[in-house]
Amino acid sequence: MNCDCTEKISLLIDGELSPAEARELERHLVTCVECQEARADFLSLRSQINEFPVAFKPVAQRDALERILGKEKAAGRGRNWRWLLNPALAAFASLLILGAVIGLLIYPRLKPVHTPADFVASDSGKKPGAMPQPSRSPEQSSKGAGQSGAPQKGSQPPAGTNRTKVPNKKPAPVVIEPPQDNIARNQEPAGPVRSADAETMTAIHFQKSELLLRSFRNVRLNKTGSSPELGYEKKLAQQLVYQNMVLRREADAAGDAQVSSLLDSLEPILLDIANLPEKARQGDVRAIKDRVERKNIVALLQVNSLALARALD
Amino acid sequence: MASHDEEFTMLFQEFYPSLCRFLECLLGGRAELAQDLAQESFLQLHRTAWGTLPEGEARFWLYRVARNFAINEFRKSHTRYRLFDRVVEAMRPPTRNPEEEYETRERKQMVLSMLSTLPEDQRVALLLREQEQLSYRDISQVLNVSESKVKVDIFRARATLRERWTKRSNKVVGVKAG
Repeated sequence: MNCDCTEKISLLIDGELSPAEARELERHLVTCVECQEARADFLSLRSQINEFPVAFKPVAQRDALERILGKEKAAGRGRNWRWLLNPALAAFASLLILGAVIGLLIYPRLKPVHTPADFVASDSGKKPGAMPQPSRSPEQSSKGAGQSGAPQKGSQPPAGTNRTKVPNKKPAPVVIEPPQDNIARNQEPAGPVRSADAETMTAIHFQKSELLLRSFRNVRLNKTGSSPELGYEKKLAQQLVYQNMVLRREADAAGDAQVSSLLDSLEPILLDIANLPEKARQGDVRAIKDRVERKNIVALLQVNSLALARALD
Repeated sequence: MASHDEEFTMLFQEFYPSLCRFLECLLGGRAELAQDLAQESFLQLHRTAWGTLPEGEARFWLYRVARNFAINEFRKSHTRYRLFDRVVEAMRPPTRNPEEEYETRERKQMVLSMLSTLPEDQRVALLLREQEQLSYRDISQVLNVSESKVKVDIFRARATLRERWTKRSNKVVGVKAG
């Protein structure tokens, strides 16, 4: 079973032999059983490989051609999105989305219910720069009770309030008392308040905006007049604009005038940066920079974000 | 340039199915990936080389690029794609009657498993010869190797497959006789 002609059989079935060589091999084949078997096996393999079915739909072929010819960009992305056309995978993706939606609906119910302690107890503790509301000194507090009876002269205030001790003759000083404990926090808030979550969001938003404006302020303007590179700033501004609108509405609703005013000043600047053209003119960039400087908005953002962060601690 | 695109369309219609099949066999049955790579190859042709190639070269160019894409895929993680393709296969709705589906799958699986035992260069050469009916000279152009290497590769591939096929058949006969 070691005929040397097997390799030639391979060439013969591929038509790669010269006519003379082919004729000679055909004569050999008449007598050599081994070569006959080799030829039969090679041809059998060929038919098996050749019959390998192509599994795709003509529609898919047409779509692919359209993408390549008409929408080369879409074709580039097609590889990433084409799986959506697969019904099974689309169903799987739909299930995932449904699961996520159900999860989002259930999650808030699983979260602990916000007690009043989660809210700001008084505006003085949360609103930077807002006029603090004076709390009553022990003496003043006793006045209410004293309506039924005169206050005792020289009576000592309760322990822990020494710093508020003042001569009786003078009017009671204004004392700022941050909430000392949960009891103080649980007091009914006087006016509309914002949730701690919203304030956290605002603080983060201020920090991000501050970073953006600092980055924008540092954009170099060339003397040659070529447009500066603003891709990062534009993208960040686009992300922040929407959040700014939402937070401003929340601040308005909560009556937080200072935060609302700052967000109101910030919004047009964010919009202007987000809407800068790809090749922005240096004049436009400079105008926004000047406005940022004029309004001193970076410093305001810094102060407010720090104040909010402290208040949330 | 309507004629430009018309020519491309004709080429696409003629060779897209066979390129898909070639890639599927090369990639061990990953049909989805094969179609992606076939489209990538045509896209590449349309973007870069279409109109600059000599007549008749586009086909060779396509197979060369497609093979390179396939090699790149080999170098990536195999497991990820195998798993993904299995998930896709498992979730695919049945399109034909079960018997026909089973037979087709069996036949495909047998060919793929046999081909997967071959070294890559032998497999490519054999597929280009058997499925695409390219001559040895054409194959040598596609693969950028000598004709003698093509000749040897194809013969070795056939000899290996024949040996495996014979062993497998004997085993099946033995089992049936036993």
